[in-house]
Amino acid sequence: MRIVIAGAGDVGTHLAKLLSGENQDITLIDDSKERLGSLDANFDLLTITASPTSIKDLREAEAGRADLFVAVTPDESRNIVACQLAHSLGAQKTLARVDNYEYLMPKIREYFTSIGVDSLIYPEMLAAKDIVDGLRQSWIRQWWEFADGALVMIGVKLRDNAQILNVPLYTLGSGLPYHIVAIVRDNETIIPGGSDTIQAGDLVYFMTMRKSIPIVRRIAGKEELPDIRDVIIMGGSRIAVRAAQLIGDSYNLKIIERDRARCHRLTELLSSRVMVINGDGRDPSLLVSEGISHTEAFIALTDSSETNILAGVAAKRFGVTKTIAEVENLDYITMAEKLDIGTVINKKKIAASHIYQMMLDADVSNVKCLTFANADVAEFVVKPGARVTRNTVKDLNLPRGATIGGLIRGHEGMLVSGGTQIVEGDHVVVFCLEGMIRKLEKLFN
Amino acid sequence: MTTELIHIRAIHKVVGYLLAIEASVLALCSLIPLYTRESDMFAFLASSLITACFSVLFILFGKNENSRESLSRRDGYLVVVLSWTLFSLFGCLPFIISRYIPNFTNAFFETISGFTTTGASIVGNVEILPHGLLFWRSLTQWMGGLGIVFFTVAVLPFFGVGEVQLFAAEAIGPAHGKLHPRIGVSGRWILTLYVMLTVSCAIVLNICGMGFFDSVNHAMTTIATSGYSTRNASIGAFHSVLIEDVITIFTFLSGINFSLLFLLFFKGKIGKLLHDTEFLYYLGCTLGLSLVLGIVITANTQNSLRESLHLASFQVISMLTTTGFVTNDVYNWPAPVYMILSVAMCLGACAGSTTGGMKGVRSVILFRSLKNEANRILHPNAVLPVRVNGKVVPETTRQTIFTFTVCYVALIAISWIIYIIAGLNMSDAFYAATAFISNSGTAVGSFDAANSFDTTLSWDILSTGAKWYTCFLMLVSRLEIFAVLLIFTPAFWRKA
Repeated sequence: MRIVIAGAGDVGTHLAKLLSGENQDITLIDDSKERLGSLDANFDLLTITASPTSIKDLREAEAGRADLFVAVTPDESRNIVACQLAHSLGAQKTLARVDNYEYLMPKIREYFTSIGVDSLIYPEMLAAKDIVDGLRQSWIRQWWEFADGALVMIGVKLRDNAQILNVPLYTLGSGLPYHIVAIVRDNETIIPGGSDTIQAGDLVYFMTMRKSIPIVRRIAGKEELPDIRDVIIMGGSRIAVRAAQLIGDSYNLKIIERDRARCHRLTELLSSRVMVINGDGRDPSLLVSEGISHTEAFIALTDSSETNILAGVAAKRFGVTKTIAEVENLDYITMAEKLDIGTVINKKKIAASHIYQMMLDADVSNVKCLTFANADVAEFVVKPGARVTRNTVKDLNLPRGATIGGLIRGHEGMLVSGGTQIVEGDHVVVFCLEGMIRKLEKLFN
Repeated sequence: MTTELIHIRAIHKVVGYLLAIEASVLALCSLIPLYTRESDMFAFLASSLITACFSVLFILFGKNENSRESLSRRDGYLVVVLSWTLFSLFGCLPFIISRYIPNFTNAFFETISGFTTTGASIVGNVEILPHGLLFWRSLTQWMGGLGIVFFTVAVLPFFGVGEVQLFAAEAIGPAHGKLHPRIGVSGRWILTLYVMLTVSCAIVLNICGMGFFDSVNHAMTTIATSGYSTRNASIGAFHSVLIEDVITIFTFLSGINFSLLFLLFFKGKIGKLLHDTEFLYYLGCTLGLSLVLGIVITANTQNSLRESLHLASFQVISMLTTTGFVTNDVYNWPAPVYMILSVAMCLGACAGSTTGGMKGVRSVILFRSLKNEANRILHPNAVLPVRVNGKVVPETTRQTIFTFTVCYVALIAISWIIYIIAGLNMSDAFYAATAFISNSGTAVGSFDAANSFDTTLSWDILSTGAKWYTCFLMLVSRLEIFAVLLIFTPAFWRKA
């Protein structure tokens, strides 16, 4: 697959690296030579110093022959123009990064298709959604819905008070309202079998139905955690603005921002129930005077990953139950996890996995690249005559490192046990180790 | 390009055109005596002729100047202040020539009180005035309601670029969004709404039992929220609860921002009105003050609560919109009521309406700033914006509003002192000061209680000096203080 990526920023670079590992033909263009750097020496891709909105440069990058043209420069109008140009040159599919949530509305969709922009992506919005999901269910580290919530997958960090520790999973019985699809222990992802056990400190991923979430909460020992009322966000970034707008009226929200001019801008962007405070979120006395001790959630969204991680740790010391930190530096993510940051947000990963999803050959409508586990969750639609329909699940001989979490038949979610028979048209949710999705595709097509 | 600071010729030309409108309106008024066969026909014709002569002179003087190109911001302010003064000057001619108000000071006072929609009358017994003069009194208020310059510019189709400068100088309250990209068209739309409101008010009043002539006059002064009446006892003379309710409703409507009313009536956009911070504040003030006043009246008089609420809402809306209509009962009410009404007058209704006073939007911003100051003590580092309609009010606008408020309060204080010096007692002087600064013109004080027959206060008791000061005060507050004060600053006349 020929893919042209315009804009070698965070998202573009990450995406290019990710895709070059997938044996795709990647061309990365940017008008700044510095940004492209030595990428082409270290990764199997082509870099061209060119303007994404110059027709001559696009021709040179052979954008017209691309199967996918991705425009992820910081400027949304530039992305849209670049996509239009690439489309008129002959690119098969185009994708633009935008900054305006109005463009994501379903009504506008058709218009963008008509002008040659097939898909839009808004990384800040996706990150904000993750944050809000994290606040709604504060005991849950990760949350993923399938088929509008018919099935949900949740990741929970289990402590000493969980009820299912240290026993082999088969002793829990069958017909449970949940299915444990993965365990992350010391940075290692385990797709558990019946004889595996769960230990305190594990991050456990449950596949379950919405109505059974309270049961999972109970067995995970999370019932006594307080609900979130007060939230402090440190750093008034674009993600912070989006998150504040999404959060709604249910929380008391304070945003701490260092730059005074930005504070004024925030007050214009946000409604009156959000209090904007000019100061440094790393200053303990400021945090104390703004009531950190009775705040349930602390979200660090400054430009600096280090600051965010440290502020998250400090907030934990003040007794905050839920911490969320934006960590853009990929190498720090595991460190953040070790330091017990509740949820780590990475814009690049979120955006890249979103784009990645578009490129899967099978009819996958959802792939989430999990930050903690080296694992993918994918939703497949079973095609007529696919191999999975020939046997019950226990006789399918799924490759090691993959497990079927559940399936959606019609609009009903159901968990999968050994005796389940998958039929054509089912949406099957698969949990697998990184890079296995393509192998699994064969089973479903 | 001319290098001079003030474009004398252009100003003359514009003022000339404005006066031409006044001359024609005066000529129209002479039709009434033609029908009623009263004595004031000659007065109107003569006034019209004199005004027309000056108008022609002005236009001739400014003939060679192309006003489209050369009307600056400064000129705009000068034209507005000049035309208000000149309109009042020529507008008092019918009173003098007809000998009904022979004194020049009194006639000028009566006219400027009309144009500024103050509605404070010099005439003790208005019922002896001929119909033509009564109609002219109401007409001055009706023209002044939206602003003389606004009115004339919206009527004259050939006004060019100068409109922007003129409208800015005469704006009612802090600027609001335009309805149409071209300000002249917006003006004409607003004027259409204004005419339609007046016509419907007249028709409804007529249906409710008011005579034709009274209906038209009261409709004009109701929609202009100005308060001249054709009766000595004001609205009280009709002894009709129905009429009072009709007036209450129409005054309330006239207190709403006309742009929002336009969107409501002509575009059906009710949401815009219902989400408008200022309108909600205005509605809240109306209901809250009516309730308080209603309870006070019930406690102090023999009225039932229902009657009291009816009287209270009429009076509160009349004062909040600075209309100044009164009913008979006002003079039986306890003194604290007058204080409530005085405060209501000063707060005023919505910006962009025909009302006077501080305007709701300024009060809202002030109250919210106050709340923020309290909040700042609790959260010293917080950035606390003031929002109106969900939008942050720029710091400069807030500064202007603070300055305006300080000037406003200072003017009340100064006027209070001046009226005391002029011989009024402490409380009457205060009521007078608030009545004139808010362009409400109705002071309900002790000095009227003695005269139970003639309830409309005659301001004739003021000394000549006090009258001239009052004229100045009415003009200053009608043009929102800065426009008039501006031309008295040296910087206005200094180059660059």
